[in-house]
Amino acid sequence: MHKRSLGLSLVGSLAIIVGACGTAATPTPSSSQAASQPAASASAPAASGSDAAPSASTSAMKPIKVGVVTDVGQLEDKSFNQSSNEGAKAAATESGGSHEVIVTKAISDYAANIQTLIDADFDVIVTVGFLIGTDTAKAAKANPDVKFVGVDQGVCVDEAGAPDGTFACKGDAATLLPNYQGIVFAEAQPGYLAGIVAGSISKSGTIGAVGGTNVPAVVNYWRGYENGAKSIKSDIKVLYQETDPDPSKGFNDQSKGKTIANQFLSQGADVIFQIAGLTGQGALEAVCAKDGAYGIGVDVDQAVSLPTLSKCIVTSAEKKLVDTVKAVVLSVASDTFKAGTVPYNAASDPQAIGLSAYHDNAALITPEIQAKLDAALAALKDGSLDPCAPIKCTVAGS
Amino acid sequence: MDVLFDIPILGFIFQFLAYLVDAIFTTNLPAQTLQLATPIVLGALCGVLNERSGIVNIGIEGMMLTAAFVGFMAAVVVSDAMPAAEAGIFGFTPALVVGVLAAIGAGMLVSLLHAWLSISVRADQIISGTVINIIALGLTGYLNRLIQPSGSAGTLDPIRPPAALLDLPVLGPVIQMFFTSGPITTSVIIFVIVLQILLFRSRWGLRTRAVGEHPRAADTVGINVIRVRYRNVILGGVFAGLAGAWLTLEFNASFQNGMTANRGFIALAAVIFGRWTPVGAFGGALLFMVWEALGIAIRSDPPPGDLGVFLSGIQATYPSLYNNFFGALPYLLTLIVLAGVVGRSIPPASVGRPYVKEGAT
Repeated sequence: MHKRSLGLSLVGSLAIIVGACGTAATPTPSSSQAASQPAASASAPAASGSDAAPSASTSAMKPIKVGVVTDVGQLEDKSFNQSSNEGAKAAATESGGSHEVIVTKAISDYAANIQTLIDADFDVIVTVGFLIGTDTAKAAKANPDVKFVGVDQGVCVDEAGAPDGTFACKGDAATLLPNYQGIVFAEAQPGYLAGIVAGSISKSGTIGAVGGTNVPAVVNYWRGYENGAKSIKSDIKVLYQETDPDPSKGFNDQSKGKTIANQFLSQGADVIFQIAGLTGQGALEAVCAKDGAYGIGVDVDQAVSLPTLSKCIVTSAEKKLVDTVKAVVLSVASDTFKAGTVPYNAASDPQAIGLSAYHDNAALITPEIQAKLDAALAALKDGSLDPCAPIKCTVAGS
Repeated sequence: MDVLFDIPILGFIFQFLAYLVDAIFTTNLPAQTLQLATPIVLGALCGVLNERSGIVNIGIEGMMLTAAFVGFMAAVVVSDAMPAAEAGIFGFTPALVVGVLAAIGAGMLVSLLHAWLSISVRADQIISGTVINIIALGLTGYLNRLIQPSGSAGTLDPIRPPAALLDLPVLGPVIQMFFTSGPITTSVIIFVIVLQILLFRSRWGLRTRAVGEHPRAADTVGINVIRVRYRNVILGGVFAGLAGAWLTLEFNASFQNGMTANRGFIALAAVIFGRWTPVGAFGGALLFMVWEALGIAIRSDPPPGDLGVFLSGIQATYPSLYNNFFGALPYLLTLIVLAGVVGRSIPPASVGRPYVKEGAT
């Protein structure tokens, strides 16, 4: 029996070592894990932008120590986690400070990961994703001298400044938690622009969108896309499917994404918008395998992040995560930090949403289509165009 | 037909059957089903080979994931070295050949670890399998981060039969199902038939089953139990490796952490469902996945008539319930079929028990 216990403990300890590379409390480049949930997170209610800090232009910057806690998944998601981290890193470098990232393995590790960075005296902690918002708000309340930046998090607190699970949002986040900014993107706007592209280049009159899990960010993209396409051709058919209600599968199952896209293609769709993170990569691959079909990427310029698929990606509906996160983190260094939920959209400076360059498929976008896109973008900027109309940006729509 | 459709409640069933027939004969449902089922069938073949010789293998998931990673990395390295290589039959470039072989090799290596732990060390086989799953997930994720592969080696080409063949009555859907996917998907049916015959009609099969049912009896007639078990577990690794190759070299063109997404565990269910036979496991995998494929089809293209109106109504009113229902459907039906049709399935008698030769402790 000696032999048996030796072998087991040998392999067991290897498992522990490998596992430890990715444990919660290691602020070093750590291993990533199975479940991924990139493209999406939600914008909570009450977008109460505050005017706490006057935008004193480029005052002297102090070097800051920036820590990032990612959402569950991998850092190299070529999308959400990766871009937020790049923005934070760029800001740290520009201020002359340092940067560290922790990749979250499980939802239950959120609080511990944030605490690790607090204990290591970081000045700014960037947390990524809607789901980590509650733990971020708690940490912000307990550590008033650390600045928190939450990507895709609406700050929603009760009168006492504690996270509000009922989403009544009675408390004024900007005054109760003056050290916490929630970044919320208007995904429906780039979705709308993507819809204009899809509606214009579709020959079959059927287009599709593959969603990961129906969290608000995904639904916003989808409904904006639908409204945009219908603004071009009112009778266009927009197919949509949620990959899986469980986000750890919905955003991380390439094979299923491809299957859904194949289904859409067989129903005659010739443009497919992917709103499903890594799942969507499979959808884009399906599109690439079919002549005359085109894909639209999400969150970042996917023709660049997925070079092998660039020939069939027309454009990507972008949230400018890198620029926005960088600007917000730098606002700490220059003492112009704003608290509360801050919406980022076409009207933000730098512009926080938009379409990526057309790269290989620039010929598809005729001057007429470009004119429509420019007009829509201008209307989104001045607020005269609502991307969530006539179909509302909810799962049920209508 | 319309008369049948108008019957209350029962009409729904006729409408559904009409939709199903339509889906089989006019859409790509048969091919979608086989594609989704491929990694599960291959994983299940690995499970059958293991369990028939008395070794429990719940590490199929980890074996598939390791193979997917190693195969992909090897293919990327080779394709970087010789980017202009010409593709041969089925789109096999040198990179893809090396990738598929590397995936199979990786599957065999991990199986060897499992075999050593379960047969020689006589460790608990469930723990050995679990450890393999945990290590595979952590190690591939870690190395993927470390290497950060950019680019891809491409994928194996699907077979493209003449359109006229696909339009044949009755035979059309069958040809579409088996001969419009890549070579790994297409080869699955061959593996299933060959293994079924070998397992029940050959000397190797008889020995395998004897070792799984009653190793002591097998030993007394001169069968080397340890060797048979090693051989079967490692042979199983070949199929787990092929499943991994399917994930990164045939159906998809990149590796993602945890991309097996529990397919290895569904394969185990298919093994039990199929009563430890290759053909049964194949049927089980197809049954699970036809519902998955149908769920996708129904949600994006609802059936005609009242059923479609009814389903669309639910979809609009309770979207998350509707989607969860389709997500759960394969498993719900599995439960029903397991309880009602398959009944009690009896595993090989000695499965999970390490063999100790009499007198040697």
